[in-house]
Amino acid sequence: MSEAAPAVRYRGVSYTYPEGAGDGSRSPAPAVERITLDVRAGERLGILGPNGGGKSTLLKLTLGLLKPDAGEVEVCGRSALSARRAGLVGYVPQRAEAGFDFPLSVRQVVEQGVSRGASAWRRLPAGARAQVDAAMELVGIAELAERPIGSLSGGQRQRAMIARAVAGEPRVLLLDEPTVGVDVEGQQRFGVLLERLASRGLTVVVVTHDLRTVAGGCDRVACLRRTLHAHVHPRGLTPEVLAEVFAHDVEAAFGPVHVEAHLEADCPGPHTHTHDHHHSDHGGDGARAHD
Amino acid sequence: MTIITVTTGGTVPVRTIEFLTDPVLRGYYWPGVLAGLAVAALAAPLSVLVVLRRLAFIGQGVSHAAFGGVGVALALGAVGMTAAAVEPGRTGIILAFCVLSAYAIAWLGERSRVARPDTAIGIVLVASMAIGFVLHRYAAERARAGGQPAPPGLEDVLFGGVLGVGWFDAGVAGAVAVGVLVTLAWVRRDLVFWAFEPTAAEAFGVAVARVRNLVMILLAVAIVVGMQLAGVVLVTAMLVLPGAIALRLSARLWGVLAWAWASAILGVGAGLVLSFELDQQPGPMIVLAMTVMFGAASVAGGRLCGRKAIGTRH
Repeated sequence: MSEAAPAVRYRGVSYTYPEGAGDGSRSPAPAVERITLDVRAGERLGILGPNGGGKSTLLKLTLGLLKPDAGEVEVCGRSALSARRAGLVGYVPQRAEAGFDFPLSVRQVVEQGVSRGASAWRRLPAGARAQVDAAMELVGIAELAERPIGSLSGGQRQRAMIARAVAGEPRVLLLDEPTVGVDVEGQQRFGVLLERLASRGLTVVVVTHDLRTVAGGCDRVACLRRTLHAHVHPRGLTPEVLAEVFAHDVEAAFGPVHVEAHLEADCPGPHTHTHDHHHSDHGGDGARAHD
Repeated sequence: MTIITVTTGGTVPVRTIEFLTDPVLRGYYWPGVLAGLAVAALAAPLSVLVVLRRLAFIGQGVSHAAFGGVGVALALGAVGMTAAAVEPGRTGIILAFCVLSAYAIAWLGERSRVARPDTAIGIVLVASMAIGFVLHRYAAERARAGGQPAPPGLEDVLFGGVLGVGWFDAGVAGAVAVGVLVTLAWVRRDLVFWAFEPTAAEAFGVAVARVRNLVMILLAVAIVVGMQLAGVVLVTAMLVLPGAIALRLSARLWGVLAWAWASAILGVGAGLVLSFELDQQPGPMIVLAMTVMFGAASVAGGRLCGRKAIGTRH
């Protein structure tokens, strides 16, 4: 792997929601804390974590929609906000947010990705329309272009959202829970699609709580529960690592468990991890749902 | 059927044709009809937005705020502020009250988080109604004591009236309709993106707060223009039903807009005819006509498209 400058660089990033904001919770506990991580250019990184573990917060920080309390987020060597404004970041939101009963064709949805600043009184410029066609071709939905977005299957919709995100030709693609509501075949196609995008030089960051997503489509996995707990090759996701990361989900379902696993950095390198929260009290963590 | 009511001044109702062709009567009825069509034209695309972005309840809150605005305007007029008693001033006061209420709802429910968003709407809605009633009564008492003409009756304010609409109002409604439609066309890309996916729209660079504010102001404008005809209580029907009807009938943006315009104009037209023929207030008649159309569209839409109704599915 080339040692070019990282596409996304998190340096000691912490964020705490202002009291009572976001979800009505009054917890002043940080949503993410001391995140330090480099995402290499052209890599497919999965960020795996339980609900309420800070995944969406990290995404918003990466998009520049939130400003870190401490530390900094750099995308392509500039601030997250200016990178997004410059069109360097593509974003595929969580599926639940979209109104799929909306009377829009697939093409109209994909056009949203290139219509910033376009004149309201004219058609989109030819260049933008060509980008839209190319993006739909790339994700394999060209033949669905004129269908209503609501008539598509979960996997097809997801590819439409990816087409919208890549239509503006970004350098970094962020995906939020991309495989929720996507069937097994769709998940496989999704893995293949990520590989194709990465082979074109796109850096892909997938945020998910779904193991199959990271196992099938990522080069590297970072486990996030408020802090980064490990980042490893997908095959390094041992039961101990997973039990640790999802301890709160397990406890919520089955009662208290005692995980004795001691996590070490599974991929040695310049990335430092904070392990000091392993046995601290995470009370209230599971109730905080910033996603 | 011959019904004699107070609103038509004790006359026996005549048929719609006579209202609109009689040399004397037509001067009273045409402004209301034309204003109604203008309101239909501007409310139709807004109603699509209201249904898709689930703003029906906040629209209800803002429209009831108009009643508070009416009360404020009447009270200010009664204490001798002539600007509040004559037309542009009165409309301006009502509009300001609506916009302020929309901000109050947003502030209570979102920014300060004093209340949940729907609670905030509920509070502002009833508070505006209460203010409206108190100030209306105050203005009426003062007018009676001073030997002044009485302010418009509660029934007309709440449920609308054709006879309250003059040529000036019709002209304002037409101009406002053009203004609203041009504004909507101008910001349509951001508007549609915001309505489709607010969070993603923000991530893609849409100034979502500005778009939302604009929509609230346009809703307030539509309500103020429509309330004279349909009344405060029922004007939101025009901001919900055309969109709800259209979304049963098409899954295309332009198709939905076309159906919304068609059903709004047809609904207002049918409602006015019914109100003339049955000697009822126009507001309830417009609402009933549109509700029947919604039922028909639900049945037809299911057959037409062979799919579950769009707009109700999550």
